[in-house]
Amino acid sequence: MACRPLVSVYSEKGEATGTSVKMPAVFQAPIRPDIVGSVHMDMMKNGRQPYAVSAKAGHQTSAESWGTGRAVARIPRVSGGGTNRSGQGAFGNMCRHGRMFAPTKTWRRWHRRINVNQRRYAICSAIAATGIPALVMAKGHCIEEVPEIPLVLTDKVQTLTKTKEAVGVLRKLKLWREIEKVKSTRRFRAGKGKMRNRRRIQRRGPVVIYNQDNGICRAFRNIPGVTLINVDRLNLLKIAPGGHVGRLCIWTESAFKKLDSIYGTWKKASEQKTDYNLPMPKMTNCDLSRLLRSDEIQKALRPPKKQVTRRVLKRNPLKNLSVLAKLNPYAVVEKKLAKLVEKQQKKKRQELQDAKRGLATVDAAASGGKSRPRKPVTKGPPAKEKKEKKEKKEKK
Amino acid sequence: MSADLQWMILRNNSSLLVKRKAVRSFSREPNNLKGLNSFRFNGLVHRKTVAVEPKTDGKGVVLVLRNSKSTRKPSKNYTRIELKRDARKTLSTIRKVIGEGNYRRDLKMAAVRRASAIIRSQKPVVVKKTRGKKKE
Repeated sequence: MACRPLVSVYSEKGEATGTSVKMPAVFQAPIRPDIVGSVHMDMMKNGRQPYAVSAKAGHQTSAESWGTGRAVARIPRVSGGGTNRSGQGAFGNMCRHGRMFAPTKTWRRWHRRINVNQRRYAICSAIAATGIPALVMAKGHCIEEVPEIPLVLTDKVQTLTKTKEAVGVLRKLKLWREIEKVKSTRRFRAGKGKMRNRRRIQRRGPVVIYNQDNGICRAFRNIPGVTLINVDRLNLLKIAPGGHVGRLCIWTESAFKKLDSIYGTWKKASEQKTDYNLPMPKMTNCDLSRLLRSDEIQKALRPPKKQVTRRVLKRNPLKNLSVLAKLNPYAVVEKKLAKLVEKQQKKKRQELQDAKRGLATVDAAASGGKSRPRKPVTKGPPAKEKKEKKEKKEKK
Repeated sequence: MSADLQWMILRNNSSLLVKRKAVRSFSREPNNLKGLNSFRFNGLVHRKTVAVEPKTDGKGVVLVLRNSKSTRKPSKNYTRIELKRDARKTLSTIRKVIGEGNYRRDLKMAAVRRASAIIRSQKPVVVKKTRGKKKE
C-alpha cells in the first residue's frame, strides 16, 4: 500500500506546532464513489417517516353501478337522493372524490438494511477522500489558503467554549471564506418543503471531528455550515453529504490518532470493530504514467513509430508523365522516340509538299522552330505592303 | 492517490464542471489552462500544473506553477511568477520555464497562447477610423 506521510498538527492560532502524526491507514483506503453513493442512498432512506393516504379514502360511500340500459357509464354511482352527490360516480381513480390508483400504504418498505461490510467500506472511502485536496475542492469547499489537508488541530480546540473563539480559530486557519460561502447560499427551499418546516436551506461547510467534547460542540455549533461529530460515531451522511465524497474535515489530534484503532491498518486489524480490517484495493499502483514507465511494461513494448504516413493523393499515370515514369520507366524513352519519329515524319511530309508546290523548304531548326514562314521564291508585294503599314502607323 | 484515480472520480462529478449544450464540457477550476474538462488540462488532479492569469492591476501576466512537493498543503501549493515586461519577453519566459525547465511541456503552447490572449486584451482598444465612401 502507499506510504503514509506525516501530517502536521496545527494550533488553534493556525500555526504549525512541532508535532506531526502519521497519517492513519484509512486515508489510503480505496475510494469508491459508487459504493459511497449507493450506501448513502440507502442510509438516507432509513430516516423516513411513512406517508400514506387514508385506507378508507374514496370508499366511504355505498355506491352501486346502475348497470346497462340507463344511457350512462357503468361506473358505480352514489345511491340515494336529495343532494348533488347522488348519482355521481364513485370508487374509481378516474372519479371525482374516488379513491386514487394504488393507494399508498404505510407498510411500504421504507428502510433499507445495508451489509455491515459495505457500510464500513463506504465510510473508509469517504474518509480517504477527505484527505485529497483535489476532491475537497471539487466538492466546492474553499481551501486555497488552508495550511494542510487533512487538517489536524491540537486537542486544545476541544476545550473551547465560546463561539467567538471558535470563529477566531476558523479565521486563523483561513476557513472563514468557506463559512461566508455558506452564509451567501442561504435561501428558501424550492417547493412544498417550505410549509413543512424545511423552509431554509444552505450549503454544507466543514465538519469538525473531535474525540472528547469539552465544550467544542457548544463553541462550533452555531457557526453556519459547521457540523460536529465524535470520531467514535462517524456518519457517512455527514462525511459524504449528498452521496458525494470529499467534504472538508477538521480533525482534532486525538480524533485523528484514534482512526487507526477504529478502522485498523492493513497490518493490524481494527481494535474497536470485531474482525474488521481495511478494504483491499484492486490495484496496488494506480498511477498510470508510472506504470507505463515501469521496466516490466517498457521491456514488452516495441520502439515507437515516429514516422507519420499521410494519405497520398493518387495521380493518374495516363495524364501525369512523372507518375507514369515511376510505374514504367521505359515510357519516357518511348515518348521521346515517338516525338522524334513524329518530327521526322513531319519533315518528310513537308518536303514532299514543298516539292509539289515548288517552294524551298525552310529548315525548322534554322528558323528558330517556327515552321510558318515558308518564303516564296520571288520577292514582291508583301514587302511593300509592310512599308505602307509602317508609314500609316507613324502618321497616327 | 494518483492523478489518474482522482481524474476517474472527478471527470463526471464535480462542482466545477460545466456541462452545457456545447460539444465539449468545460471546467471552472483555477489552474486549468483552457478551461476544458479533460485529464491533461485539469488543474486539481496533477502534481504539476501551469496556469496563466492576468495581473490584478491589469498590466501583465502571472504564471502560476504548482509545487509538486506540497500538494497536500494548499497554502504553499503555488508559486506565482509575475511577468510585467513586454509581451515578447513574457512569452519567451513562459516558453523557457515550461520547455527548458521541463515542467509540463505538453502545456507549453496552451500557456503561451493564453498569455498572448491576456496581453492582447490588456492593450487599449484602438478604434479603427472608418473610411468615407469614395465619390464617383
